[in-house]
Amino acid sequence: MNDVAEREVVASELRWASIVFVLISVMMVAIIAAGVLMHINPPSNIERLDPQSVHLSPEFTEGNLGVRVEPNGQVVARVIATQFAFVPHCLVLPANRPVVIRATTPDVIHGLLVTGTNVNTMIVPGYVSQVHTVFRKTGDLLMPCHEFCGLGHSEMTATVRVVPPEDFHPGPDGRVACAAQ
Amino acid sequence: MTSIDDDGLSPETIEAALKQTPRGAFAVAGTAVALLMLAWLAIYLLVFLPRGSVG
Repeated sequence: MNDVAEREVVASELRWASIVFVLISVMMVAIIAAGVLMHINPPSNIERLDPQSVHLSPEFTEGNLGVRVEPNGQVVARVIATQFAFVPHCLVLPANRPVVIRATTPDVIHGLLVTGTNVNTMIVPGYVSQVHTVFRKTGDLLMPCHEFCGLGHSEMTATVRVVPPEDFHPGPDGRVACAAQ
Repeated sequence: MTSIDDDGLSPETIEAALKQTPRGAFAVAGTAVALLMLAWLAIYLLVFLPRGSVG
């Protein structure tokens, strides 16, 4: 290969590298813009919890599971993922209002996603997973386990019932249950 | 006996062919990357962003 041909090859490879650099830059800017301007980020929470005593922890005792409006007005849904069910299996949450979903598990790795939304997280024994979101559409949304957790994995689903804010009626203790909606 | 390198082409012919080859490669690679990028943008703008905030 003579010098001219070699220079052409190097030039064309540099041209291609700059195109790839521009494309990656566009993707990075889009991802950063979504994170900073639209608050779309990967859920991130490092909070440890002994998986063998989840049912005894103050937050995840059976009576404290489900949706509750905290004294500060924050809507929090607490869920335990276990082989092979979510407890509770139905969550009522208001549309157009920030909500927090907190989940943990006493057994194996699970995952949850809410169909049609960006809610998607793994649930790992020993940790509390937390997702902040705002639901924009009302209706019953499927919430399946998305990490294979055993033979009953395919049956492990729950429902997120998103209701208009005017239909979201917490009880005197701040709790809201599907049966009451 | 014909050597494996002796394909009967002159160095000029090989040089000319090598000059043409990258154009086709870039056309194929460019089309593939452009389609991939368009698909990514379409999913990003039409599916991911409208699904709203999460974190």
